[in-house]
Amino acid sequence: MKALRLYVVFIYIFLYSPIAIIVIYSFNSGRYAMDWQGFSTEWYGKALSNPLIVEALLTSLTIAGATALISAVIGTLAALGLQRVKGLCRNVFDGLIYIAIMVPSVVIGIATLVAFVTLFDIINPFVEAVLAFRFQMGMWTVIAAHVLFNIAVVCLIVRARLAGMDRSLVEASEDLYATPLGTFRQVVLPLLLPGIIAGALLAFTFSFEDFVIAFFVAGSDITLPIYVYSSIRRGVTPEINAIGTIVLMTSFTLLIAAQLIMRDRKQRRVGAGG
Amino acid sequence: MTDTISTKTFLEELRRYQKGSVSRRHFLGVTGLGLATAVMAGAVPGLKPRRALAQNLSGTLNFTTWPNYFAQANFDEFTKKTGVPINVAVFGSNEEMLAKLQAGGTGWDVFVPTNYTISTYKDLGLIEPLDLKRLPNYDLSTQDPRFVSEGTIDGVVYAVPKDWGTTGYVINTKNVKSNPTTWKEFWDLTKGELTGRTMVHDYQLTTIGNALKYFGYSFNSNDEKELADAEKLLLEVKPHLFAINSDYQPSMRNGDAWMSVCWTGDAVQLNRDIPEMQYVLGREGGEIWTDYYAIPKGAQNPDAAYAFIDYILTPEVNAREVEAHGYPSTDSRTNALVPKAMLENPILYPAQDLLSNLEFGAAATLTNPLRAEIMARFKAA
Amino acid sequence: MNTTQQRSGLVTTALLAPAGVFFFFLLILPLIVIIVYSFGERAPAGGYSPAFTFDNYLNLPARGKAILNTLTLAPLATLLTAVAAYPIAYFLAVKVDPRWRLALLVLVMAPFWTSQLLRYYAWILILGSKGIPSWLALIGIPDLRIINTPYAVLIGAVYGFLPLMVPPIYVSLEKLDKRLLEASADLGATPWRSFMQVTLPMSLPGVATGSMLVFILLMGDYILPQFLGGGKVFFIGNALVDLFLQSRNWPFGAALSLSLCAIMFVAIFLYMRFVLRQSNLRQEAVV
Repeated sequence: MKALRLYVVFIYIFLYSPIAIIVIYSFNSGRYAMDWQGFSTEWYGKALSNPLIVEALLTSLTIAGATALISAVIGTLAALGLQRVKGLCRNVFDGLIYIAIMVPSVVIGIATLVAFVTLFDIINPFVEAVLAFRFQMGMWTVIAAHVLFNIAVVCLIVRARLAGMDRSLVEASEDLYATPLGTFRQVVLPLLLPGIIAGALLAFTFSFEDFVIAFFVAGSDITLPIYVYSSIRRGVTPEINAIGTIVLMTSFTLLIAAQLIMRDRKQRRVGAGG
Repeated sequence: MTDTISTKTFLEELRRYQKGSVSRRHFLGVTGLGLATAVMAGAVPGLKPRRALAQNLSGTLNFTTWPNYFAQANFDEFTKKTGVPINVAVFGSNEEMLAKLQAGGTGWDVFVPTNYTISTYKDLGLIEPLDLKRLPNYDLSTQDPRFVSEGTIDGVVYAVPKDWGTTGYVINTKNVKSNPTTWKEFWDLTKGELTGRTMVHDYQLTTIGNALKYFGYSFNSNDEKELADAEKLLLEVKPHLFAINSDYQPSMRNGDAWMSVCWTGDAVQLNRDIPEMQYVLGREGGEIWTDYYAIPKGAQNPDAAYAFIDYILTPEVNAREVEAHGYPSTDSRTNALVPKAMLENPILYPAQDLLSNLEFGAAATLTNPLRAEIMARFKAA
Repeated sequence: MNTTQQRSGLVTTALLAPAGVFFFFLLILPLIVIIVYSFGERAPAGGYSPAFTFDNYLNLPARGKAILNTLTLAPLATLLTAVAAYPIAYFLAVKVDPRWRLALLVLVMAPFWTSQLLRYYAWILILGSKGIPSWLALIGIPDLRIINTPYAVLIGAVYGFLPLMVPPIYVSLEKLDKRLLEASADLGATPWRSFMQVTLPMSLPGVATGSMLVFILLMGDYILPQFLGGGKVFFIGNALVDLFLQSRNWPFGAALSLSLCAIMFVAIFLYMRFVLRQSNLRQEAVV
């Protein structure tokens, strides 16, 4: 028992020592990220006033937001649709969902890059002649590639919820002469909503964190992970540590807030019950 | 025939120009469709009056360069003067730059190709000819003629020199006592007493080239048998390396690596901070090179690109660059402003008997499939 | 009846169409392009030029070391991560004061929300000669080199994927019926025997799920070997990045991509076949 506790403490130290290094050195006044020169908060000011970082952050948020939204909608629709089909169609879709999840992201990135480059090479001369416009890699190709993976994720989560759903509720609603759409809106959707939200949040996280796919298909657009990557190659300054710290603190605050709200509710419910 | 083409080109350019309206460009940039940024308002000289530096510049300048290769103070000043922030991307090899440009949609405005790559970029249609009228601070007559020729192809200027340098190796004499002077010693030390402490570039030209030097072959050899010898040496050395990485300064500084293939400026920077760091040019020869500024085809922000190149080639600004990165300038006006100590520093200006053995990289090495594959096999081994 | 059926069919189509379109344009089409390219030739300056040749597949042994590295280090790292994660998950699910349970679980997962790249970068410094090796030198273990070795990659893998491994194991342990343990204890089993015969088998599905997730991510990884392997520990992913972004041999890269997918599918198939079935069977046996 004592050994287990010691081990747990060790693992938490293991998990947090690199993060501690990132946070501590974000207050370094020196030019090099890991060469301590003295305490300072100047890099926070610099990071937040660096238009490139702000732009990269906005790009990443846009991509992650769009990915979460699109994959939540399409993934949910697909889960609902798959409930209604059997046989070949279903097997094909199931297969595609698993392939989308299993194919390594480096292959997805490469395949998407190669496919888009090939496609653009073919269609751009025509498009350019007619519309005075050229297709190019950018934010939207990243969103498209992220959505592919996340449709599969959302679809799996929503299907798990659908499977656990009480069919009798739907039947009861139909017995009460609700229209199919009415049944969907008033019965099915509320039941699925937690699954959909969980899927969307996962999609947001995956998309926001992704470097590998974006590295191949982002064209000239710069996401936050891409910015971090090129900063590391350029020689990290504490500016990037500051950004990492801000992102970490934001998610911690959100997590703690969520915790407190949940605990508060639980206590109230318990209080009301007693 | 010529007529048809020029008419077609003209219409195409005109169409592009029409699309260059700011709002559309802005819209496309924001929506990420980012096409028309490829359109250069200034690419059609007759259509638009030339702008003076620092006027009406907007957007971001995407600048692709090499590790430890610019003065941040200069970039900050450029941003302050023009309002254009500079987004610096750092690459470790010309192959990587070429691969990115071939795949398209890089969004780069200015990049730094090495002498032997420019003809390939031109053949593949990946770089723009430069309009020297927009670079008033560039003066051919003050350039050292050794270092400008490969930027100009068939009388058309595609690239202007940034600086020049050599590729030797750096040793930390605190740990390396044997005073090596040749490439043969470099590789033998790596296999021997310096095992686990040596770095080589992630870069076929210098890594394979300096392995060829072990056998006394030409740095540029594409001979199958000679390359096979080089590969054998590289595979033999691989387990003894500390890392394969073109950014070796961090590892040299913190003591993980004791010896590394090294460019002039990195040696200057390391030596400046840590006097034990010494630069060695192999007696057998090796590489001498020029890096250039060039504008890729379809640059999103050509106005800023020209403004940037012109700014950075201003002698006062360029001198600050040289002081920071430690690579010798090709421009005599700049050299007049560089501290005397630097002009006498043997790392920047090696003795003539060492220089005379060096070779400029050859264009054929860049596209040679065998070299690419040997480098890839070496890394994957 | 007929119209209802038609309408129902229409609704189904409408529900599946958007996903179908995405799958077609972003999965099937790219994979077809990759398949076509894998039979092509490298263009003179790099890239793709049409041809029909099996050379790219025949050349695969040239990346044998990368394939071998991936196939040994990825499963090993998965195993280590599972072993490292299990006690934590057990502690959180069984031993800890319930008031702290959720907070501690969140703390395990939270590192996942800082930049992965930055965390690996921090490890470069920790494992570099100014980090752990210099402390070890103080207590008399000189010249220990970790960074840019397979060990560094393994440490990084456990570090990077622990936050993903703990939750599924935790969930399976939390579902565990405590009465089973009590019954086992009542029957005179030592705590160790109860653990081996009841707890561990019951939690294997969670271990299997977590391992699968981590294994999939590791097999295709290239950032981790690049950062902590210093270009010396090469995975298939690194070889791919190199082929597309350095040596510009797209056809060979395409063939290697497909091989990576094939290796993954076979590995996952075998895994499902043997490990998952085994753990399900055992679970059923216990229930």
